[in-house]
Parts: sequence; structure tokens; C-alpha cells
Amino acid sequence: MSTVSGQFVNRKPQANGQSAVELPSVEYSLIRAHIFASLVTLLISVSFGLMVATKFNFPEFLGGNSWLTWGRLRYNHTQGIFFGWLGNAFLAFFYYAVPRLADRPVFSRKLGWLLFWVWNFAVVLPGWVLVLAGFSQPLEWAEFPIVVDAFVVLAFILMTFEFVVPFVRVRSADLFVSAWYIIGGIIFTMLAYPVGNFVPEYIPGAMGAAFSGLWIHDAVGLFVTPFALAIAYYVIPATTRRPIYSHFLSMVGFWVLFFIYPLNGTHHYVYSAIPMAAQKGAIVASAYLGMDVILVVTNLLLSLRGNSGTTSKDVPLRFVWFGVVAYLVVSLQGSVQALMPVNRFIHFTDWVIGHSHLAMIGFASFTALGGIAHMWQRIPGTRYNERAMNWSFWLVASGITLMVADLTIAGLVEAQVWESSAPWIDSVRAVSSYWLVRTFSGLPIAAGFILFWIALVTGPEVSQETTSEASREVSEIVPKFDGNDSTSHELSFSNWLSHAYVIAFGAGVGFFALSFLILAILPGKDLENEINRVAPVTMPTLTASEQRGRVIYGREGCAYCHTEQVRFLAADVRRFGAPTEAWETKYDYPQLWGTRRIGPDLSREFNLHPQDWQLTHLFNPRFVVRDSVMPPYPWFFSGGPSKPTQEGLDLLAYLQSLGRARELSGLDRQALAFGAKSGQSEMADMTMGSDPSAEATPPTVPVAMVGGFSDSAPLLHPAAVPGDLHEEMSRGGNLFTANCASCHGSSGSGDGAASPSLLPKPADLTAARFSDERLSSVLWNGIAGSSMPPWRQLPAEDLRALIAYVQSLQRLAAAPSAQEASTAIQGLPYFAAYCASCHGVTGAGNGPVASALAPAPTNFHLKKPSEERVLDVLENGVPGTAMPPWKTQLNEDEKRALAKFVPSLYGLPPENTGP
Amino acid sequence: MINLIVIVISAIVFALMVLWWRWPALRDRMEAPKYSMLRQERRFDERNAWPATGKPVRSFDHEDS
Repeated sequence: MSTVSGQFVNRKPQANGQSAVELPSVEYSLIRAHIFASLVTLLISVSFGLMVATKFNFPEFLGGNSWLTWGRLRYNHTQGIFFGWLGNAFLAFFYYAVPRLADRPVFSRKLGWLLFWVWNFAVVLPGWVLVLAGFSQPLEWAEFPIVVDAFVVLAFILMTFEFVVPFVRVRSADLFVSAWYIIGGIIFTMLAYPVGNFVPEYIPGAMGAAFSGLWIHDAVGLFVTPFALAIAYYVIPATTRRPIYSHFLSMVGFWVLFFIYPLNGTHHYVYSAIPMAAQKGAIVASAYLGMDVILVVTNLLLSLRGNSGTTSKDVPLRFVWFGVVAYLVVSLQGSVQALMPVNRFIHFTDWVIGHSHLAMIGFASFTALGGIAHMWQRIPGTRYNERAMNWSFWLVASGITLMVADLTIAGLVEAQVWESSAPWIDSVRAVSSYWLVRTFSGLPIAAGFILFWIALVTGPEVSQETTSEASREVSEIVPKFDGNDSTSHELSFSNWLSHAYVIAFGAGVGFFALSFLILAILPGKDLENEINRVAPVTMPTLTASEQRGRVIYGREGCAYCHTEQVRFLAADVRRFGAPTEAWETKYDYPQLWGTRRIGPDLSREFNLHPQDWQLTHLFNPRFVVRDSVMPPYPWFFSGGPSKPTQEGLDLLAYLQSLGRARELSGLDRQALAFGAKSGQSEMADMTMGSDPSAEATPPTVPVAMVGGFSDSAPLLHPAAVPGDLHEEMSRGGNLFTANCASCHGSSGSGDGAASPSLLPKPADLTAARFSDERLSSVLWNGIAGSSMPPWRQLPAEDLRALIAYVQSLQRLAAAPSAQEASTAIQGLPYFAAYCASCHGVTGAGNGPVASALAPAPTNFHLKKPSEERVLDVLENGVPGTAMPPWKTQLNEDEKRALAKFVPSLYGLPPENTGP
Repeated sequence: MINLIVIVISAIVFALMVLWWRWPALRDRMEAPKYSMLRQERRFDERNAWPATGKPVRSFDHEDS
């Protein structure tokens, strides 16, 4: 009899003489199609991941092409795993399991093919292409652009018809737990997806982050976890031919998961501006979820009791077993990570990346691979290579174990450096070897996935032996309960249970809505009130250029390495400045708070770096930060860092707007004044919750000096003993190479890679003598108005070593003799007439207009340029400073007289009249 | 609010566990789907069984229609 989708299939009598049975048809062609699509997209997604990982150690790798930049590949890596690999794998499983669980075929084969095309050719493929082309949404797990999101929602509606409708006529009391997970996962994701993907576009900043946090967790909790658990609950009994340990416990696990999981979302924003009640609620829910996972995993592992032999022999079951164990580990890890004492330390680090890989590969992918391999052996006409499958398991298992261990340790290392006062780049240097190991750990994973595919297309055709033998075993176990033999008493239980389950499902939907109320809508109202109360009425909005720059910032994935939220933590405030308050995010559509720090937080970037530094950094970050792993963005320039395109200028404008509203509000100056008056100096976590203003100037902010010197800087002197001085100079040389040479050049001549595009140019350290006072002050405060940053994050002994090394670079001889000084007096009138207004009468850099200039005029008592250098400056000026060229105003004799006179100032005692 | 939710869910779960433990008839009914799932597996396996020639007796999906 021919089959029609949606109807049962009449079967002829079988060869063994048993009577014919009516069984629903199974769409094996759709299963094959989705498995094929899942493996293709898996390999592509893993390739994206390998490229992303490689760029951590080789940032120039594929760096010249905007389509292959780190951010866009990173978006496609995770979205490809989510939609392409796992989505297709789950869909294949649904086509296999739903007819068995519902005893009805899926809704429609045509609808199934429509769903296949929508999922792969309206979601995955266009999503990838659009992201690579620069159209994306910078929200975690929601990176595909909104036009693609619309098709995702359509796909979930189609899924509801295809896979949920067959269950409608089944008594809910008879539904196996896998069916509940399939139904719940589809319906809850269909509800959660629009909220997580569309809403943050229309609700700004902190309020939008509350919604984003929900989706970040719901993507894993309502899509990945339920479907993976559906597979685990199916494959284990189907392979062992024994029932699961307890269906009741499995249902308890199901309901608690769907009740509690949506309440976890805000734990991604602990110590943020989101109201503390919402944060604590999410933390409590996270801990509770850990207990639920223990229940689920215990039930699954007890279902395997007495089957250790089967688990070791049957590779698909072993995949699932690994996934279940990983589920336990990753879930308990997640619960612990949400706790504040842990979260403050490991959040934003590679620890979290290890955690997410354990979830998506260790748990979800292993379970999905097990499900596919299990199904594949039961599809007629397929081949199955057990040896290759076994190798696949061990390769992927060893790769993910190494990767997670490596990233976990890397996260701890990063956290340790971040807690210290060391410069940010030190954390990058500290984990670069771990990143290399991570990249290599991806290779066995990729090889394992390729072998998995090979295992499905090579080897002998599968035989019926296994299934028929297993069926006999089942016949001995199953008769315990048969619905057809139910007494009326038992039926009343069924009815009662059906009602109970329907009520529970309704409650689940209610809880889902409640999660948005508790974690998004109510905190959003609080935040809205706070913003209205605190935000200055004059708070500037973004200009058109800044707004365009914000879009560029989002599409290039900047928010995936740089956060825009300083958390309410002492370590954060010390490093970056005042914690981010809700009102500062008033115009952020969508929020760009970020969930990861590879580079430093950027929310206080306003006035931190000059334009030329920013452009040079964007063109090639290693021009100014030697060991940076940030990708270069040459497509924002027409050949060089001093020739930005309009997009480059827009991005620059946006970067320089970050923190502007805060700075202009004056809140931090008030807080500083209050802190000084009340004697507060120590910061503690969360005490800042009531007074979230910064109490210290972050060490990356340059401090203006007049006279080239500052009393606030410690006066550091290199060692006086020659042996110690030599050692200091040697260490200083290494520090100079690591931190200074990219601008000042390896010889200190001011000709580093960045120098052509910086204004003012990096100082030629060989053309002047620098006093201890001058170098101490510059290293401590930076030079405001130039690209020279402060280095007060370095320990004092490092600063001393740098001073010793820089002083060793000078080519200048000692100060001029008294006779030379007397002949130089001819230059005095010119100095008094043309130079003293800036440099001061005595050359101390403290002339009447000095305080208005940045960089400040040179103090010749502390910085002693050679005569040649003075002549050069008189001829050409110092571009990027207030020092003009004097070649037209002064003749050669006058310039020569001035060049002779300036060194006569060097012998005067240091003088500081600066602030 | 969140504490209330956790307490209520815990109470419901605890009550269900007590019912499951103390009421065998209910326990049997709650556990029934795990057997019906296996029974379904057996039915599909029997349908899919084919002789040792390695070729299916009949085709297995809509493509045979």
C-alpha cells in the first residue's frame, strides 16, 4: 500500500508469520538530508573556529580581508554550531524519534522539506554570508541579522506543526520524557527567540542587557539542552534495551529545568548595573539548576547500570555517555561560576570560553553525535564503520578534554593578572602559549568530526541482526505495563496524570513569562526610573558619525573582545575607572556590554588616547602595542594609518565618544572631592553599589603636567653601584623592547613602526639627556596630548630599570662648560622674546601659557636635547605640539645662537611650578 | 520573589516524590512511558528487519510510494 504523509502505513504479513502491524512512516530521506547538512555545517563551523583560534597567536593570519576578520568569523563559528550543526542534528533526530514516540508520522513530508530549505538556505547559509559581508547583530548567540531571525521564527513555527502536532492526540500521561523535551524545547525556544533577538534592538543599554542575558542562557537552556537530553533519554534505553531508571525522576528533571532555566539569564551580568535583586535571583536559580542537573544525570547514569560492557562496546552509546558526564560537569561549573566570589574572578576570562566549549562540544555535540550514529545504524541501506567511529570518539574526546583544561587554566592566569596592577597586555602575553595549545587541541576535534563522517559512509552495510536480537530482549522486559490492559482504576490515573501534565505545561509557559517579568521587565522598570533620575539633562547623544561608528564596532565583533561595562568591583575600578551606570547606556541600541575581555574595557576611552594613536592602532595594533592580538583593520584606511576612510573616521569618532557622557557629567570629580574630604581611600567590591563613582584615576589615564614634572609621581633613581646599574639597564632593555620599541624604535631613535603616523612623533631618546625627575614623571603620568601613555602599572623596579636604560641611550656629552655657557649668552634675548612665554624664563617649561598646552612645553632642566636636536626643532618645529617651526622668523645666526643658549639652561637646578 | 519560586517548586517536587514513594499505583503509572518507549522500539525494529542478504524486504519511507 502506498503511503501518504500523515497516515499510518499498512504492512504486509512478515516473514516470521507475525501479524501485520500499523506503524507510522518515518521520513528517512529527511533524516539523511539533515544529517548530511549537520556534518557539512559542522566542518565549516569548526573551520571558522580554527581560523579564529589561530588568529590569537597569528593576528595577521587572513588579516587583510574584511570578510575574514576575527569578529565576523567568531560570529559565524558560534552561529554555525548552533543553527547549522546542532540544529540539523536535532531535526534529524526529531524525524527519527517523533514517529516512534507519538506513534504517528510527522505532520507532512512537504512541510519537512520546506523546513529543511528554510533552516539551511534561509537561515544558516544567508546568515553566514551576511555576517561575513558585515551585516550582523552584536549580541551573544543572536549574531545573525534580524532578517535571518525572522526566518528562524518561521522555522520554529514549522517545527511546531511538524513535530508537536503529532503528539496532540497522544495522552500526555503516555508521553515518554524525550517527547516532553522535544515539545518543550520547540515551544519555549519559539517564545524566547524573538524576545532575545528583537527586543534588545529596541530597548537600550542596561535594560536591553537584561533581555540579552535571558536569551544567552535560553539559547543553551531551552534549545540545546532539551534536545540533547531528548537524545540521551532515547538512545540509552534504545541501545541497552532496558528502560530508563525512573521516568518519574526524568519528568521532575524536565519540569524543574523548564521552570528554572529561564531564571538564570542575568547571571551573565553579575556586578553590573542591573538591579541586584535580579542578579541575586539569577544566582539562586543557577545554584538550584545545578541540583536539578544532578538529579537528571543520576537518573541517566543509573539507567546505564549493569551496562558498562555495552557502553564501552557501543560507540554511539559511549558518545552519549560522555555527553551526559560532560553535562554534569558543565552544569555544576555553571552553578559555581554564577556565585559572586567566583564570578568576580573568572568572568570575562578564557575560563568561560572553556565552559562554553564543554557545553557545546562536550555535552551537546557528543550527545548529538551519539544520536546520529545510533539512528544511522537503523536506517536501511546505510554503511557504518565502527573502527572509524571509535577513532572519532577518542579524537574528539581527547581534543575537547585538552581544550577545556587548557582554557580553564588560561582563565585563571588571566584573572590573576587582572587582579594585579600589571598592564593589560601582560595578561595577553601570559596566556598566549595557552591559546596555542587551544588551537592545537582543535585539530583532533576537527579530525574526529571528519572521521565521524567517514564512519557513516564507509564500512559494511548495517544488518538486521542487532535489532532482531534486541527485540527479543525487550519482549522480556516490556510486559510490565501495557496501556491496552489498563483497568479503569489505572485509566483514572492516566487521566489525572494527563491533566497534571497539561497543567504543568501551562505553568511552564507561565513560568517562562514570569522569567521575563522578574529578570527583564521589572529590572527594566527600575533601570528606567534610575536613568530618568540620574541622567544629566544635557547628556549628549551620539552624532551621526559616532552612530555609524557604533554599527561598525558591532559588525566587526569589537564587543566580543572589549567590554563596555566596568563592573562594580574594586579591581575593575582601579583599572578602568568608574563603574558603568545604567544612565550611561541610555542611547545604546543595542547594548554592547560584552561578555568577554581579550582587550581592555573601552567604556572610559574618552580622552584616553589621541586620534593618531587610535588610527594607528586600528590600522595595525602591533604598531603601538607590540604583543597585541587585536586584528588589523586596513580596510578602514587608504594605504596608511594617516589616511582613514570615512568608515575609519566613524569608528574613531565612536571610540572617542565612549565615556564622554560620564566625563562631562562631572560626577566623578564630585566623588573624588567627597572622597578626599571624608578620607576614603580604599575601595571594596559592592560598597560602591551605593556610591558607584570612581575614587581613583585609572593608571591608564595620562595626567597633565606643567614644567615636565609632577610631585605626584615618585622620584625614581637608577642604581648607583655600577654592577647593579648594569643589571638594571639590561632588564630595562628587555622592558623597553616589549613596551616602548614599537613607538620609540628598537634603538630609541623615535623611529618605531608607529612613528610615521603619530603626532607628536615619539621622542628621539638618543637626542637628549633626561633627568631622573623627567623620566619618573613621564613614566608615571604619561604625556597628555601625545600617544605616550602612563606606565604606573609597572612595578617601581621596572620603572627604575627603564629609566636606567633610557638614560643609557643618549648620545649627548655632559653639560656645557662654563666658557661655552658664557658665549651662549648671545641667545638669551631671542629665548626671552620667542621661547619664554611657553618654556619659562629659566627654561623650566612653566611659561605663562604652558598650562594651556598639551603636550606641555619642554622643561630644559629635566630634558636636555643636543644642540643638533635644538636646531632641528627650530627649523621644523614639533608637529603635533604647540612648538612651531622658526625658520621664517629667525635667521640662521639667531637660530644658532638659540641652539647654543638652550644647553646653558641645563645646569640650572630642577624647578617645578606645575600643578 | 525568586526565593518564593524556589520554595514553591521545591515543595511541589517534594510532594510528588512522597506520592511516588508512598503510592505504588501512581508510581507504576508514572513509570509506564519508559516501557511503552521500548515497545515502540521493538515494533519499529521488527518492521525494519530484513534478511541476511543485506537488502531490505521493502523500502522504509515515503520514497517507496
